[in-house]
Amino acid sequence: MARYALLEALRTRFPVLVLVAVAVLLLASFFVESIAVTEGARFQAAFYAAGMRLAGVFVAGLYVLVSIAREFNDKGFDILLALDLPRAHYVLGKLAGFLALAVLIAAVASLPLVWFAPLEAVVQWAVSLALELAIVVALALFCMLTFSQLVPAASFVLAFYLLARSITAIRLMGAHPLAGADSLSHQVISGTMEALGLVTPAFDTWTQTAWLVDQPAAWASLLQIGWQSIVYVLLLTAAAMFDLYRKNF
Amino acid sequence: MLRRNFFTITKAVTARLNRGGERPLSRVPRPALALLAAALALQVGSQALQPKPSARAEALSAPPTTTTLRALAFGEPIAFAALLTLHLQAFDNQPGISIPFAQLDYGRVGEWLETILGLDPVSQYPLLMAAQLYGQVPDPTKQRQMCELVRRQFERDPNRRWRWLAHCAIMAKHRLRDTRLALAYAEAIARSATQAPTWARQMRIFVLEDMGEAEAAAILLGGLLASGEVTDPQEIHFLMERLKQLRGAEKSPLPSKK
Repeated sequence: MARYALLEALRTRFPVLVLVAVAVLLLASFFVESIAVTEGARFQAAFYAAGMRLAGVFVAGLYVLVSIAREFNDKGFDILLALDLPRAHYVLGKLAGFLALAVLIAAVASLPLVWFAPLEAVVQWAVSLALELAIVVALALFCMLTFSQLVPAASFVLAFYLLARSITAIRLMGAHPLAGADSLSHQVISGTMEALGLVTPAFDTWTQTAWLVDQPAAWASLLQIGWQSIVYVLLLTAAAMFDLYRKNF
Repeated sequence: MLRRNFFTITKAVTARLNRGGERPLSRVPRPALALLAAALALQVGSQALQPKPSARAEALSAPPTTTTLRALAFGEPIAFAALLTLHLQAFDNQPGISIPFAQLDYGRVGEWLETILGLDPVSQYPLLMAAQLYGQVPDPTKQRQMCELVRRQFERDPNRRWRWLAHCAIMAKHRLRDTRLALAYAEAIARSATQAPTWARQMRIFVLEDMGEAEAAAILLGGLLASGEVTDPQEIHFLMERLKQLRGAEKSPLPSKK
């Protein structure tokens, strides 16, 4: 199943799309470097890294959503269900293929950075991006299996990603309000934000451009990110399995 | 025949209704349920053990050049300038922390305001922020910094920006107690802002009067009345009364109100 997921990516020219994204952002980063009065290399690395991170999340998430949607529409999924194959195997197989894709995207995206930043920082950035993409693809798989429709699934993935990138700031604003800290509405909102913080990965601390242009991250923090990713991918996988087992086709 | 058709239709409708429905929870294998429960517990547990995020004030960075910002605006400089203005305005209110205006780096604040004006020169908002927001801190140096910014920007478009310099003239006179500065601003308005209303262009006369320069004030007021710029009868009457008072004061000098 994982092999077929990878084969499908290859045959739908997904690698070409990733390479084009890398090339376009690289060219744009050279343009930024040329118009910067000072710290041109810093601007270039920061622009490319931030742009590539967003582009990676966009193409990986969208690819998973569209791939599963196509299986639903072409009835390939119905054929798979008719086979003597546990639904859990379907989820695990697909996920394995998509995770491999996430790692490949991160590797390709980080290659140009070797010329702009120290190797240690680039490795950390690539590992962190691969872990971030792993969560995004697992989330996209879960959403598509749950909602079965492309638009609600894509909207959920986008909203979740934006929330994950801003959850720390939202929690801070909720924890230290400038006025009205004692009001009931504030207590409810603050409690909700804290609860959301428990089930949402704080992406603002992941795949930081600062590692590339300022100083590399501490490896301990990267281990922490790795642990959180494993737990979150497990959670999303289990949730996807749960929904798939309960679904009637 | 009819009965058989009824059963066929009922069966088809039931099948259609069940399609997309949910199977009972018992159909989910126990290992999948256990994995879900364990992963959820791990996620919540590991996040709960994380230290709470702490608020940290960030210094205001230098703004990019107007040219760079124009490129980043993607052809929407007015909307982008509005966004930057709101960003600057909210800078004192960072997540979880409130920074008093007086603690901001006013050099940087000024750079941002001038850059935003470069992006959208018609907007009055940055000058309002300079005069009414950042200029209100109880720090004379910072008040002067903001007034100087307003003065610089006034020279670029006097007829559109005179009101902010008029505000600064009043601020210089009453808050900074610097009537010379107030006079300089009032004279700049009278000289350059040809479309400003008369009260703003007359401001220098009253500043001069406050400085005890009754003769100079009387000459200016007389000139203003003679020029025919003032047409409102009540305003002419009021100014004539002031002129009489000033001429009386020339004979017995007015005590300065400074």
